[in-house]
Amino acid sequence: MGFFGDIWPLAVIGLFNGAIYGLAAMGVVLTYKTSGIFNFAYGAVAMFCAFTFWQLRDGWGLNQWVALPILVLVVAPLIGLILERLFRPVAALSAEIQIVISLGVLAFLQALALLIWGGSPRVLTSIFSTTAFDFTSKLRLSYTQVFTLFVAAALGAGLWALLRHTRLGVATQAVVDNRDLAELNGISSDTVSRTAWVISTMFAAVVGVLLSGQSRLDVYSLVLVVIFAFAPAVVGRLISLPLAFAGALALGVGQSIVTHWGSSGTLANLYASVPYLALFALLLLYGNRLKELRAAFQPVTSAPAAQPASRRKLLTMGTAGLGLAVVLPALVNEARLGNVTSGVVFASIALTLVVLTGWTGQISLAQFTFVGVGAFTVGHLAATDGSGFFWAAAVGALIAIPIGLLVGLPSLRLSGLYLALATMAFALTVDTMVFSQRRISGGTTGMSIPKPRIFGFSFASTTRFYYLAVAVLAVFAVGALVFQRGPIGRRLQMIRDAPLAASTFGVNLTLTKLAVFALSGAGAAFAGAMFGALRGSVSPGDFGFGASLGLLLLVVLGGRALVGGALIAGFVYMLQILPGLAPYLRYIQLGIAVGVVYVAQYPDGPLTVAADQSRRYADLLRSFRQLVSRPVESKVPEATSG
Amino acid sequence: MADSSAAPRLRAHGVSVHFGGLRALDDVGLEVGGDDIAGLIGPNGAGKTTLFNVITGVQDPDDGAVELDGVDISRWSPHRRGRAGIARTFQRLALFTGLTVYDNLLGTWEAATPGAVLGRQRQRGRERVEHVLEQLDLTTIAGRLAGQLSTGLGRMVELGRALCANPRLLLLDEPSAGLDPDETARFSAILRGVAGTANDGPAVLLVEHDVALVMDVCDHITVLDFGQRIAQGSPSEIRSHPAVVAAYLGQPT
Repeated sequence: MGFFGDIWPLAVIGLFNGAIYGLAAMGVVLTYKTSGIFNFAYGAVAMFCAFTFWQLRDGWGLNQWVALPILVLVVAPLIGLILERLFRPVAALSAEIQIVISLGVLAFLQALALLIWGGSPRVLTSIFSTTAFDFTSKLRLSYTQVFTLFVAAALGAGLWALLRHTRLGVATQAVVDNRDLAELNGISSDTVSRTAWVISTMFAAVVGVLLSGQSRLDVYSLVLVVIFAFAPAVVGRLISLPLAFAGALALGVGQSIVTHWGSSGTLANLYASVPYLALFALLLLYGNRLKELRAAFQPVTSAPAAQPASRRKLLTMGTAGLGLAVVLPALVNEARLGNVTSGVVFASIALTLVVLTGWTGQISLAQFTFVGVGAFTVGHLAATDGSGFFWAAAVGALIAIPIGLLVGLPSLRLSGLYLALATMAFALTVDTMVFSQRRISGGTTGMSIPKPRIFGFSFASTTRFYYLAVAVLAVFAVGALVFQRGPIGRRLQMIRDAPLAASTFGVNLTLTKLAVFALSGAGAAFAGAMFGALRGSVSPGDFGFGASLGLLLLVVLGGRALVGGALIAGFVYMLQILPGLAPYLRYIQLGIAVGVVYVAQYPDGPLTVAADQSRRYADLLRSFRQLVSRPVESKVPEATSG
Repeated sequence: MADSSAAPRLRAHGVSVHFGGLRALDDVGLEVGGDDIAGLIGPNGAGKTTLFNVITGVQDPDDGAVELDGVDISRWSPHRRGRAGIARTFQRLALFTGLTVYDNLLGTWEAATPGAVLGRQRQRGRERVEHVLEQLDLTTIAGRLAGQLSTGLGRMVELGRALCANPRLLLLDEPSAGLDPDETARFSAILRGVAGTANDGPAVLLVEHDVALVMDVCDHITVLDFGQRIAQGSPSEIRSHPAVVAAYLGQPT
């Protein structure tokens, strides 16, 4: 009785959070099954709605029973409609592009919230009374908890009933089963998906208000908490609402129960890791049974790419860039040079993601985990004066190899959406379970990292370290270019463009993908050593999911398939830390998010966007001219674009 | 090479595949000789592409075996079969869209040639690619990105790519789909020019909807219907085979 007597109150408490996760899981599943879009931004939508509620109630002093209907019935549906409109044309594109766009929306909402409400957290008191009462001698509950459970259960059951017993439900099921057939039978799939987005966003609003009633409200934490809901959504194979809800309850209970063992010591963060660990394990074990819905939607259109630059052009640009890099220390002051160095180090990290995501087509939301591995390894192994730095960096790169293999493991069975989810779950698991350990990272106080020293020659001065960073980046970039244009680069791009074809011609997909994950991880760890030295001191917060996400977005913005794209990513990163631009930081972040959404479908980055647009205008102009000069001609002009 | 006359280039026997309750292939057998251009026809859903997938190792059969030049390759991975000389084209184009036509061919040659990815035998690869480009009249578009080609050119590049994979057996999955009559005629002329030992080329197994094309280029034909082999023989035998006429061809035109 003793053990069980301790456990069951925890289990009951777990139900409250579980029910909220359940709402979020249903919201995510609902839009995925009707429009084929997995909304990574769901947590950000919930966050934005919670802030809106704070504004209405606490900011403007509205009665909360007025504010809540305004939020749920007006603001949320509006956001839902905007999102639906934004994502509709995206449904036909590859999973990779969909993921990047929804991550871009996530970043956009965060930047917008920062712009409106600033960076300081708010306290959002619960909408229900927080008075507590003794349910039994072992269990003390608050009215908030009880009401939360009721509201969540009622909404969940309501949605389920709506889909089961109304015409809308039948239409939704028809669209899920076969979009085209549903259209032929007079069901408007647009209406169905619009309704789904509206309901899903209303749920997000409720989730946001209920969850932030329990803790402080800021721009970041809610995004992570809503990721808790992704594991149960996967339990329902992203299709079944009741399974998703049940999975969420189970997760809430499980998560609450582990606090029995893990309230202190090494397991202190088990509570937060459980959902991420569950998501990673689910995808790894159960991945071969998951099938992406996307196949049921329209065929994938191939992304417009740029003709590869000529060797001479590359050589000219490279020489010019290197020349500028050499004379730069004479042109700017020391503080600016430090900022530039940050951009240079970031660019070398970005290059490792170009290889993995841009060339091989494997989305990773865990790249900064490897950066952390490199930085912490150097922190442990290098002497305080920096000697042994490069040995330590090499060891960090070696340690990163098995970790890369582990992250790459899901990629053997999964691609696109599920792979992105798996890497995200991995990053979050390492973040909450491993990096948080004092012995590994020095805990929240962090760890100091020396500037490197080789054979007694120190790189401690800003200028010397700058040159070192440029040298590392140059080696990475030249190496990447040589690879890209040689047999290995060709092979990676074959895997990206047509994995099945590549394997039937003799490419070992398993070996190649694992090798790329391992090597890209090792490269990131080596660059991570530089990153650590640059910072001087690092803590787990530097290598979290947010950092990996930011990296992916900047690489996409710069052009994920190009070496130059990594350089652009480094440059934009630098813009964010230049003190002169600090007043405009929020606008820069907003601009990055908008840019990502726009560039997402162009792997070769902003320049191809421009080329593609001008080609479109040229086509338009040509057909217009033809129309004017030969108005009666009925012959269809030959199609020029693919 | 010396022993290739003894066993057929490809021998599949007793191949069965089902998806749930659906029998996609039921005890199907097939042989293709080293000099053959063999045809595989049948209505939609007859199991043609499934048989291709079994031969290339993408689909595990529930039963049956596949032999290449007398060697049982049933348990080999797709990439090992690719290296052993099985190459294919795809019904839905599966080009390496972000690479140039030249790199599509070269990358494929490297994939099929042991050690080539490490940069060995580079010259031989380039010679092979340029030879195939010339053969298929693709030299002028060698520098273009494969993703920007029309379907007709795309099919040609797929053929070129397969020819660069050092094939002993070439599987063509509906190569004429989306081609106009002129392009189809050119395609069959090219096919005759590259197949068989006389051309130092591969044996060919062709899945095709265009019956005229099949009758024109193939030495012998296998007909599938609902996962079962209903006939096998020369074009003239097939043309008058009662089961085939009933299931597929309809009235001779």
